[in-house]
Amino acid sequence: MLDAHTLQILTESAKYDVSCSSSGSERANRKGGLGNASAGGICHSFTPDGRCISLLKILMSNECLYDCEYCPNRRSSGTERARITPDEVCRLTINFYRRNYIEGLFLSSAVFDTPDRTMELLTETVVRLRKLYNFNGYVHLKGIPGADAEIMMKAARYADRMSYNIELPSEKSLKLLAPQKNRDALLTPMKRLQTAMTYDRENKVRTGRVLPAGQTTQMIVGASPESDGQILRLTEYLYRRVGLKRVYYSSYIPVTASPLLPARPAGLLREHRLYQADWLLRFYGFDADELCGEGEYLSEEHDPKCAWALKNMHLFPVEINSAPLETLLRVPGIGARSAYRITEARRYARLGFEDLAKMRIVLKRAKHFITCKGKFYGAEGTAVRAALMSDERCRRGGQDEQLSLFSTASDAVAALTGQL
Amino acid sequence: MKIFLTDGTAAGFYTAVFDAYGHEGSMITSCDMQLGLDSEITEVTADENKAKRVTDKLCKIDGYATGDVDLALRSGDCTKEQTAFEYIKLIVRSGRPVRRMLSQPAVIEMNGLTGRVAGELHKMKGFLRFMETADGALYAPCSPDNDIIDLLAPHFKARLGAQPFVIHDVKRKKAVLCDGNEWFAADAGEAEVYLSEYELAFENLWRKYYASVNVDERPHEKQMRGYMPVRYWKFMPEKKGGA
Repeated sequence: MLDAHTLQILTESAKYDVSCSSSGSERANRKGGLGNASAGGICHSFTPDGRCISLLKILMSNECLYDCEYCPNRRSSGTERARITPDEVCRLTINFYRRNYIEGLFLSSAVFDTPDRTMELLTETVVRLRKLYNFNGYVHLKGIPGADAEIMMKAARYADRMSYNIELPSEKSLKLLAPQKNRDALLTPMKRLQTAMTYDRENKVRTGRVLPAGQTTQMIVGASPESDGQILRLTEYLYRRVGLKRVYYSSYIPVTASPLLPARPAGLLREHRLYQADWLLRFYGFDADELCGEGEYLSEEHDPKCAWALKNMHLFPVEINSAPLETLLRVPGIGARSAYRITEARRYARLGFEDLAKMRIVLKRAKHFITCKGKFYGAEGTAVRAALMSDERCRRGGQDEQLSLFSTASDAVAALTGQL
Repeated sequence: MKIFLTDGTAAGFYTAVFDAYGHEGSMITSCDMQLGLDSEITEVTADENKAKRVTDKLCKIDGYATGDVDLALRSGDCTKEQTAFEYIKLIVRSGRPVRRMLSQPAVIEMNGLTGRVAGELHKMKGFLRFMETADGALYAPCSPDNDIIDLLAPHFKARLGAQPFVIHDVKRKKAVLCDGNEWFAADAGEAEVYLSEYELAFENLWRKYYASVNVDERPHEKQMRGYMPVRYWKFMPEKKGGA
């Protein structure tokens, strides 16, 4: 059996990869097999950092030939090294899965040999898991940039999801911080996989589909100088042109000391705002252009939808009983679920302000942007901004260091009363 | 006020609906409760005929209504019968399915109740922990808030294939057992379990994994407790002892 220390090394090396989801695949169990995939994904545990554990997330090896500045596993770092065999990975996965600890496997690896050899070993593991162990649970495989396309396509036939990490939001930063990687080596396999997936979909391939749960990627935010506007444009491109399922952002934490990297962490608020904007791109019909100018950053004091609404006050208030779904989705404080509730409920009865409250629709922000049966319940004019800002501060409890935007108490008061 | 006390079964509930219908302001419950001065208790014995008349009527109006009620009655909530009763009254009064009349108080309550049961069902699919016994079967003790283990069984049957398993609701003294082909529900009090020789080693590996995968630089315990409430911890190896 695998020893605990090896598991610890390979887990700690893998934990900065933020992808956690196990959704999107409906892989069924086979006769005599173990496991299936649940389309909605299942979280099996939560760690004290608030993240979920869904998959067994480990590296095959953390012995890396590359020397990416931000990475704790880079060649020149003094971290302890370990490697496990495909069969050890398989047996650990099976035993954790049977006990319902996990939903499947997330396998990645440092580039310990040529990219081809590394990718081959990852592929061998997933094939072994599927064929020898008859395992039909979820498998997320990390793509190794620069590996041969044949090997990659073979892996994609057995995995549910693959991801190539884009790492940094621009080619320039990539050159500086991860000199062995380049943009093309990351984007080309993504596009190739997407073409194969489109082919399967269009030809209604039923069995052995390529990556039923699609592709994701991840980038580090705050290690390089790109603005939120640039990041969101890249994100939009990845969703709408390349067809990715998810883009993950990882707020930069200085795990290694390097003159090329900032000494301070990027902070969680920036990451949070990017995720909020990401959701607006995918589920709320927003474009990156509407949310943030090319060289600009997202507002710290308001969430992106609120910031957009404040800039477009001429579109509000909207009448809750007649506004189309697309418009409701653009009201700050009203999410996809609330918008759905409103459109369903108003088919049977006209809705008043109290009805919305009873339906547990949060009105704290929304009340400034809607009318119910023609009546308006929010604040007028410039008071809206101040009211929203004090709400936001209450909500975050003033704990987040990021929010100490105003250095003095008088500044803060001025901001609250709308003078600033 | 008239209070109809049922035995907690579905048939008992539908019989109570039959009896209580038409009595203005009457209540149905299966819990012992604090009584008001003016309350009058009627104990209901399940009557297949009466129950069938109610379910037939319901099915005629809304084919899915009895399914909603079934989910509601699994709740551990004391108000579940009353909530389902109000929902049924609204269906009969409206003469059509009402589950999407989302501003009706009866529907809001009912959807909330069934939502909590379905929500816990989903959570338990993740939080349930099996132990391997000496004879190779899997055994999972649990004590969910709602009576849902027979809804969990098909999920784990599909996953585990030919692997025999037992899910034991310790609180309700019930279990579902699967021999690898069929699963069935049974009453089960105390269980004596002999673990396989590898069990402890895998639990320890899992604990090690759990400790290692956490990013210490980003503590957010409140969120962890929100997603995974403390009452579920006692059957999870990574959390036993409140770590």
